[in-house]
Amino acid sequence: MLQDTPPYVFDEFFASGKEEVISPFLTKNSRKWSANLKLKSSLLAAFLLIISFFLSSTCIPVSDFLLLTVYFLVGTPALIDTLNDLKSLEINIDVLMTLAALLSILIGSGFEGALLLVLFELSASMENAVTMKTKGALSSLSHLSPQKAFFINSSGEVWERSVKDIKVGSTILVKAGEIIPLDAKVIQGYSQVNLSHLTGESIPITKRPGDEVPAGARNLDGSLTLEVVRTSYDSTLTRIIQLITHAQEAKPKLQKLIDKLGDKYAILIMSIALLFALLLPLFFSSIPFLGNEGSIYRALTFLIAASPCALVIATPTAYLSSISSCAKKGILLKGGIVLDAISSCKRIAFDKTGTLTSGILKCSSFTPILSEIDTDLGLAMAASVEQHVVHPIATAFIDFAQIKNLSLPAIDQFKATPGFGVEAFCTLDEKKYKIFIGHYEYVSSHFSEALQKKMNLLTFNKALPNQVFSFVLIGENVFVATFSDEVKTESLSTIQYLQNQLHMDAAMLTGDHHENAEAVGSFLGITKVYSNLRPEDKLKIVSDLSSKKGLIMVGDGVNDAPALMRATVGVSMGKIGSATAIDASDVVFLQDDLSSLTWLIRKAHKTMSIIKQNLSLALGVILLATSPAILGFVPLWMAVVLHEGGTVLVGLNSLRLLKK
Amino acid sequence: MNSSPSPSHFKGKTAQEHLKKARMKGMIASSEIHGIEMSGSQAAFADSLKDTALALLALWSMSISLFDKSVIHVIMILFSISWIIWKPARSAILGWGRLERLHRLIEEERWEIEHNREQERLELTEMYQAKGFSGRLLEESVDVLMSDDNRLLQVMLEEELGLTLEVHEHPLKQAFAAFLGSSTSTGLILLSALFLPKLLTPAIGFLLVSLSSILTARLERNKKTSGLIWNLSSAAFVVASTYLLGNLFSKLQ
Repeated sequence: MLQDTPPYVFDEFFASGKEEVISPFLTKNSRKWSANLKLKSSLLAAFLLIISFFLSSTCIPVSDFLLLTVYFLVGTPALIDTLNDLKSLEINIDVLMTLAALLSILIGSGFEGALLLVLFELSASMENAVTMKTKGALSSLSHLSPQKAFFINSSGEVWERSVKDIKVGSTILVKAGEIIPLDAKVIQGYSQVNLSHLTGESIPITKRPGDEVPAGARNLDGSLTLEVVRTSYDSTLTRIIQLITHAQEAKPKLQKLIDKLGDKYAILIMSIALLFALLLPLFFSSIPFLGNEGSIYRALTFLIAASPCALVIATPTAYLSSISSCAKKGILLKGGIVLDAISSCKRIAFDKTGTLTSGILKCSSFTPILSEIDTDLGLAMAASVEQHVVHPIATAFIDFAQIKNLSLPAIDQFKATPGFGVEAFCTLDEKKYKIFIGHYEYVSSHFSEALQKKMNLLTFNKALPNQVFSFVLIGENVFVATFSDEVKTESLSTIQYLQNQLHMDAAMLTGDHHENAEAVGSFLGITKVYSNLRPEDKLKIVSDLSSKKGLIMVGDGVNDAPALMRATVGVSMGKIGSATAIDASDVVFLQDDLSSLTWLIRKAHKTMSIIKQNLSLALGVILLATSPAILGFVPLWMAVVLHEGGTVLVGLNSLRLLKK
Repeated sequence: MNSSPSPSHFKGKTAQEHLKKARMKGMIASSEIHGIEMSGSQAAFADSLKDTALALLALWSMSISLFDKSVIHVIMILFSISWIIWKPARSAILGWGRLERLHRLIEEERWEIEHNREQERLELTEMYQAKGFSGRLLEESVDVLMSDDNRLLQVMLEEELGLTLEVHEHPLKQAFAAFLGSSTSTGLILLSALFLPKLLTPAIGFLLVSLSSILTARLERNKKTSGLIWNLSSAAFVVASTYLLGNLFSKLQ
């Protein structure tokens, strides 16, 4: 017999941008050679540079050989990048740094040039390593959405087909527990489906013939025959992907601005160096050091002095220190630029379910309506029946019985009616009870005539906002269990701190009903509550809110992904959050601890303050060194000392952010 | 889906592993490695071992007639260092070049699958027809392959382009093997040149060429004896030629 080997999964490789570390062509064992290669290479270069420096006074040839190795390791990639930049007519800081480093060899300052390259490469590779760790792309959506569907042909045969080959009007079969592969209409079968990817709500909804079901929804209990209404190219999930992509493109990119300024700076410095090197000897040829013979020396001194090494590391080192500090606290940042964005935000919006509330249904009460048996016994019997079901309500029943330390009796003849409820028999003390659990309509249809009459005389709630009801019929005894999604303990204090101490405007965006949303909003003191929202509605509101003031959006579901992407800063919950929301967000709370939000915002403000100090220091050193350098008053060694001294100071200042 | 014992000719491997190895064999059999290093760290080691030994032997033989003894050793040491740097670098560059080509091919094939599904279906039908499938069985086979894009891409890479997944070594691993090969050759030949009787240097050089030839023949599944003799006679021809020409030039000076 042949081994059933699954096909190779290429999606992750393509989503990573064809990263070598997961190349499908390399043997699994040898892929690890690619891990953080850039970082390893720059660290090796730094190590060799240190040895080279110490040997420079005792063994010059070995020192020079090591220096040459450093240039090979970090200079070659820098030269390739520079040539690529020049090929696309882009003159940026990278070009300036490489030029200064390589030219410094010509005037016998190889060490300074190598140091410049190592620092530059190290900073770039560390940023790269951090970004790679948090990088996620949208591939998780393809995990959420099945690539295949069970297609039913005209003669009733069931075939597995790629969703891309299924046309509108085709009939497909979705079994219990599977994910709906395409937007479709139910033509046969009843089942409860979980639409959490669209609405964020974890409470299942019953779908009957004629109802539409969106792609990505999980079919919980019954088997459904569906008629496809949209192809995979324009399904609901594809629309969410498009929304995310558009939101990503529309997001303001501070990094672009920095690069743009960097480009202008590089061109300016190189032009000044060239201009002064050429022109000054013409006007001041009689003054020593300003003659023709000193022009190249001065131009290079100026280039080194003006090389924005301190300026370049001013922001990344501060960001990296903060990123590291955040990581220790269980907060993952996708790049340091996020901290910049956080500090500019004056508004904050929260998704409800899973963010402000736990997102997990909990049984809050199990109450007799009409019963002669003990309530705990009723709960034990109900939980025993629910043990046979995979459903959020069933889990809540079992958890509630466990909290009460109830031992569950054995049941038999279990039967599920998908979309309605379950039934079973339980024998206790030689008495056999028939048990029904489900909606009131389902349970009441099994009432005896006498019980129905008694029930008609009673008044009780069958539905309430923010609560799910499940009725239990055990023989002639009726119970009602209520389930709700509880507000997290830290939500209230966090919202109060954000509003009162940090003076931020808080809002709540949810796909849930208005009553439920209002109830949670008023408990937490949030006045701006937007309810009944679909992903596109959330995206629109987030666009409006973030257009006037910076907005932090905190969410967890796939339905939040476009909004997380569009907001100035998207924050998602790592444990309960969907992979898509995590991909779309800029910040991930690994511990799902909402109180970390206030710490993060304070950290972002602190980071910005350190960056401002660093920039002032770096610019100060450049101004101090460049003007005299161009006039020949600062020798090359002093330019290097000022330059490197400034760099070290900036680095040390950034390290202060490592404190928790 | 089972763990039944694999047939004896699988040599303890699963059918898939066996297939992968068989394809690798096919790839080696069909590729001519002139100027291009064969994939794999063992091949890189063997290639580097032989090239280095041969280069040092040639240098040693020409220096007998052209330079005095003290200069010979310095030249050999300096040449060895540059050679030890070059061989791994060449190996890594070739490895990365191959990986870039493979990644480009896979990207192109994915694009084809994404945008030209009907043509891909036709290609598959054509391929499976050639394998003897026909009628309903052919249609069902194509349907099964078309139902999963990952499987389809793998099939197209392997059957249309003749590529095999997860068989290549990382360029750096290959470079490391090349480094070991050139270092071994250099170390042994230099030690013999510096400390052992004169004639032992070519003996060790030829021994290294022999070992490398046997290893290469084993990897290529070629006849070891003829591989060994051809390589040794070529090496002897190179060494003798440089020695004789060296003599000629020294007389002309």
